Parts: sequence; C-alpha cells; structure tokens
Amino acid sequence: MCDHTNKNIYLPYLTTVTEVIDETPDVRTLRLVFQDEKVRDSFAFRAGQFAEYSAFGAGEATFCIASSPTRTGYIECSFRSVGRVTEELRRLEVGDSMGFRGPYGNSYPIEEFYGKNLVFVAGGIALPPLRTLIWNCLDLRDKFGEITIVYGARTEADLVYKRELKEWQERGDVRLVKTVDPGGAGPEWDGKVGFVPTILEETAPSAENTVALVCGPPIMIKFTLPVLEKLGFSDEQVYTTLENRMKCGLGKCGRCNVGNVYVCKDGPVFTAKQVKAMPMEF
Amino acid sequence: MQKYISQQNLNTLLDKLITKGIRVVAPRISAGIPLYEPLKCSDEMVTDQLPRRSAKEAFFPVCEEIMSYEKEGQQVKLTDVDPARFPETVLVGVRPCDAAAIPVLDAVFSWDYKDEFFLERRRKTTIIGLACTTADDACFCTAVGLSPAETRGSDLFLTLLDGGGYACESYSEKGEALINGNGELFSESNNAVPFHLAAPQAEKIDLKKVKAWLDEHFEDPLWDGIAVRCVGCGACAFVCPACHCFDIVDEGTEKNGKRRKSWDACGFWKFTHHASGHNPRDLQPKRYRNRIMHKFKYYDDKFGQTLCTGCGRCVRICPVGIDIAAIVDEINKK
Repeated sequence: MCDHTNKNIYLPYLTTVTEVIDETPDVRTLRLVFQDEKVRDSFAFRAGQFAEYSAFGAGEATFCIASSPTRTGYIECSFRSVGRVTEELRRLEVGDSMGFRGPYGNSYPIEEFYGKNLVFVAGGIALPPLRTLIWNCLDLRDKFGEITIVYGARTEADLVYKRELKEWQERGDVRLVKTVDPGGAGPEWDGKVGFVPTILEETAPSAENTVALVCGPPIMIKFTLPVLEKLGFSDEQVYTTLENRMKCGLGKCGRCNVGNVYVCKDGPVFTAKQVKAMPMEF
Repeated sequence: MQKYISQQNLNTLLDKLITKGIRVVAPRISAGIPLYEPLKCSDEMVTDQLPRRSAKEAFFPVCEEIMSYEKEGQQVKLTDVDPARFPETVLVGVRPCDAAAIPVLDAVFSWDYKDEFFLERRRKTTIIGLACTTADDACFCTAVGLSPAETRGSDLFLTLLDGGGYACESYSEKGEALINGNGELFSESNNAVPFHLAAPQAEKIDLKKVKAWLDEHFEDPLWDGIAVRCVGCGACAFVCPACHCFDIVDEGTEKNGKRRKSWDACGFWKFTHHASGHNPRDLQPKRYRNRIMHKFKYYDDKFGQTLCTGCGRCVRICPVGIDIAAIVDEINKK
C-alpha cells in the first residue's frame, strides 16, 4: 500500500471496480470503492468536481465524479470509450484495480441554490456532470423548489442512465422531459422528438427564482444559451461545466486553459457570465 | 559578502564537492553539444558557450518517473518515488537568464498543490550563477528587464575578473554556507576590475505595455501573420528555461511499468486535442498565440511574472526563423 502522506501529488489512490454498467453501446459506468479503508471513510467531494482515472499501463483520463456526494462508500464515473485510456478502462471487470486522483476543481455552489427552482439541461454523454448534482439535490429534495430535467440524445440508444430516467419519470417531484433528435426514436419511444434547445423552449420553464444547469456538446450549449436568455434567464442564473484535455488536474501542466482561465483550478463549473467573458478558445 | 576565488580554486572546490558525493552540474560538452550535465571532474566545465538546453532540467528533467505499477491478478501494487533519492546538487556556471528562470518556475510548482519533484530538488540545490561575457544577436535578456550581470535565482554569483579569477557574491544562506564550508579557497575581494561583460543589443521592452496590448488582442491578424510558418515542432519550448508544460504517460506492459512526467509543448496539435476529436486550439496560429499569451500575459495574470528571460534559445533554434523578441518588440511599438 502506498503512503499518501509523503506528498507525491501525482500518486493515485487504488480503487476496486465493484460494478460495471453499460449505459449505451459505447458508454460505460464503473462503480469504484477505495481499497484503503481510511480513504474510504475520509474521502469527500462536492458535486461538479472531477478526477484523473488510471488504467495502469495506458495512463490517466479526466472525467467528472458522476455519483452524488450524498451517496457515500463509493464513487462512480461514466465514460465513452474513444481513446487509449478509455479503451483500457472499458476492459476492467468487477474486482479489478483502478487508479483515482482527485477530487479536483471547483464545484456547484449548491447552498446558493437552496430555495430555488432548478432546470437541468443535458445532451448525450454530458448527463454525468449533472447527474451528480441531480441526485445530490434529490437527496435533499426539501431544500429546492421545482426540479425540471430536459435531457436529449441523438437516438434512444444514446441516452445514458436509462434506469434513472425511468426513476425520475416516475417520481412525482421531478419533471423529466426526454427527447431524441429527429430520426432517433424507436417504435416504443415515449418521449419527445427534437433537438434539446427546441424542446427546452417548448418546455418553457420559468426563470423566476430559478437556476439553469446546462451541460452538453459545444453545439448544444451554443443554441441553448439564447433560448435561456429568451426565457428570461440572466447569465448569472445559468451554470455549465467546461471540459478540456488535462493531464495533471492541478494547475501545472498547462493545457486546459481558456485564455487565462484554468479549467482544472478555476472550473470546471462556470456561470454563463464567466464563460461569455472568456476568449473563444473552447 | 563579496569574496574572490581563483579559477584554480574554483576547480578545486568543484572537485572537492564531487569527491564528497555531491552532484555537480555544469555546462559541459556532451556529444559535441554544450549541456548542463553532471561533471566527473571540474576540467569538463565549459563556460564560454551557452548550453543548448537551459538549466531547468536540474529540477525538472526532460522525463522522470513519478511512480511505478505492478499487476498481479486483479491487484495492483504502486511504488512511489522517494524524494530522498534526489541528490544534493551544486549547479554551477549557470547563465543569468537560466538562473533567473528558476524562481519564476517556483511559482507554478509551489502554488496550491506542491510538486515535490521540483521543490525537493530545488531545496537540495545550490545555484552558482556566472555573469555573461559573450552575447550574440539572439540574446535579449536586456529587453525583458534582465542583464548579463543579473543575480536573481543565484545563491552565489561569479563575475570573471580582468586578469583571471572571479568576484564571488553570496545572495542566500545556501551561498554563504558554501563559502563558509570552503573558506580556504576564497579570499577577500581584491577589487579587481570585472572582465568586460556581454552587451546584448536588445532595447528594453515595456512588458506592462505588451501585456496591456495582449489583454485586448486575443483576436488579431498578428497571430496569423506569425504562425502561418510555424511547423509546430515544439523545439522552442524544449530549449526554453521557463516553459514548463508537461505530459504524464504510462510506459510499460500490462503487467508492470512506470508512470512518467515529461516535457510537452503547447505548439503540438495533440496538446489540447480532446478524445472526442474536438480541439480548442486546432490551428497553429491559435497555438502560437497561446505561447505568447502564456509568457507575457497569463503567467503575469496568475503569478505576477513574465515567463521569458530573454535567453534567445528559441530564436536560434527555430527551423523557420520565428523570433519571439521581434514579435514582442513589434507589440511594444504598437
């Protein structure tokens, strides 16, 4: 067992994969438990933070912590297999060891959302960075007003966390609006058909005493922000998370910056106001 | 305190340190190239040529192991790197532009999370700077507010004297300790006249003015004009005393291997390339802009310092003749 008190900031914790869930043909969720009992007991994070996950021999990949800080004893990550590291992570089975460095970065200011309505807007593989907060809020349900989730993907098969979508749909205290892009619906589809920004506009959540949390591919963000503006949301009421290629996650390796903003340290959570002040480099 | 040390005594000092098992790193000729490398004997030191790469690698090696892993079935064993293995070091004959870059790098490696790979070596190293007596037309330390006699970053600073030997000034406790521990090799300052110092021709640039322009010109035709010829080889970053971007990679088999931290460069296309295929700095002008911005704006925004000490290495090595000093000068004249 490696001793983390000697301060090697690049040394990961070891975790064990305890569950493997296939979300879509190429998106997988891993549930991880820290091997060191002391770390298991003391590990704490906030919704929105990210980590570096190791497949030893392939390297590290950066994703958010997709589980909620209210669910303790384990953490989860969800990723699409698209590169060397994620292909290796995908080969891990229950019982295998995996490295974890984190939690890093800032987080959603959840305490500031108490007493407010929440509108979550997500597209495709970008639901995990919101799912951590969604469950965090649902586990503290009394502290929030209405909760609306608008989630879409290219096709039905591309929707992640399908079992949880069902759970949210069945709960009386959440309004879930799910959609697929035109042409993406199967014969059994019981949701909407249309792009996320269009469906958001149609859903028309009130901006009054509301915070919007948006996560998706750049193209979705680009068309969603004007819709929110039209619905009366100010840029301070809208939050998003940015993702960039990272290596250290610690504000040193120099690649995740957008202008002078370091996504790993100043983010990954930003308000739309902060994002609009950044140069167009993301 | 100012002291005098003869060339012979300086050699004696270095040989004494080497004999004691201290790593003495100085410019020496390695496969025909001057580089800062460990000396076997003081005679190897070469002080009249600027090393090809800077002195930063005494603290931040080109590539270093940060841990190793070993798999046994489903279990993985990680082995940490013991910082105690970093040797006590005396870095000698360091050019002022190289020495000045080291405290600049302290900022990034010590803010928030502490990079002990850099910081532990830093604690264990005494830096002996050497005033420059030669400059070429790529040198521009004077443009960025430094000089051939700049002592920033040095624990001890040597100035070659007319008639031989060096004036030796101490700037830290480490420097004093080296003099006090070897008192017999130093004598009182003899007030000899310094050998003529190098005189780079570059005029002083108003770095505040440059930064103010950069604050407002993320989008500017200048970037396309410069970078259209950049081949993205990254050589400028690799020879730079202040560039510090790095990569972390695993090297080994599925069974066992090492995780390494190695130099990287913002000029590389892959540097910011997402697994999804998206690349925020997809074109060379965007990458070159980041280089200039990081050096003269972002690092200043974050740490109040400029990430360039005017050594001129990037100017000399660029295969397509991109001249950072000329670019900054052009911005300064806007």
